[in-house]
Amino acid sequence: MTKMAPVQSDADLLAAFASGDRSAALTLTQRLTPRLMGQAYRMLGNRAEAEDVTQDAMMRLWKIAPDWDADRALVTTWLYRVVANLCTDRLRKSGRGVALDAIEEPADDAKSAADNMQDTARSTALHDALADLPERQAQAVALRHLEELGNPEIATIMDTNVRTVESLIARGKRALIAKLSGRKKELGYDDDNR
Amino acid sequence: MTTDDEMLEAAFAQARTPDMMPSEALLNRIMMDADSVSAVAPVAKRPKQKLGAMILDAIGGWTAFGGLATATVAGLWIGVAPPAALTDLSAGLWGTTIEVPLLESDMFAGLEG
Repeated sequence: MTKMAPVQSDADLLAAFASGDRSAALTLTQRLTPRLMGQAYRMLGNRAEAEDVTQDAMMRLWKIAPDWDADRALVTTWLYRVVANLCTDRLRKSGRGVALDAIEEPADDAKSAADNMQDTARSTALHDALADLPERQAQAVALRHLEELGNPEIATIMDTNVRTVESLIARGKRALIAKLSGRKKELGYDDDNR
Repeated sequence: MTTDDEMLEAAFAQARTPDMMPSEALLNRIMMDADSVSAVAPVAKRPKQKLGAMILDAIGGWTAFGGLATATVAGLWIGVAPPAALTDLSAGLWGTTIEVPLLESDMFAGLEG
């Protein structure tokens, strides 16, 4: 029976990369990018933008590798923050305004064309509304309701306390409802409970 | 009738897509970035050291520095005032000794005006 090699932590791999080990960079890339892509896509709703954010976040990771202090933070926690910052930066700079046809909502073959269009419209509406929120409210709401993280973890990522996170999420959700409720009918939320 | 909270939860649920596999092209770009950073800083950065500390490190630290200082002073003294036994030894080895006056007053005679 072959003995399995122990799984190296992200911090160990980062240290190995900083010492010139290219294979460590490859392992980190394969391990981390699916989640970074997912987080960025959930916040931006656009694959091309999510790829740019992922590449940018990984570049920041490579650059910080020689100075990485494993006692201060987990690599994944640090990356959550970097991706959240990069995404809100993009949302704010673009004033959203991403054209409907740039939103690549994966088409579900089992749904009708009308349903797929409605899904796309709903996705665009949510991302537009997120883009209008103050940066930290948008980050807290996205980390809680899109990434489904707990408030203590969000507090660590955002370098604040749990009470502030709760307040940011509550205010963010109220603002989102105010923005979306006027479009309930248009977005088909009156028709069903989907 | 969908309440506002239900509407928002439905919107979040739809946006909660699973993680995505990156394209081969993206993985290549990320690895090219890693290579470019490695090319600039191939090894882990060490804390910055002052020149004095670097020299001290190079000779083996303060302990070695103490020994080096003692040896230097002893060598200088032996050069200025060699013990008789050492003079005899060098004469025995080389057949003769050459004495170079370092501190005698006639050494400076030619420099005086």
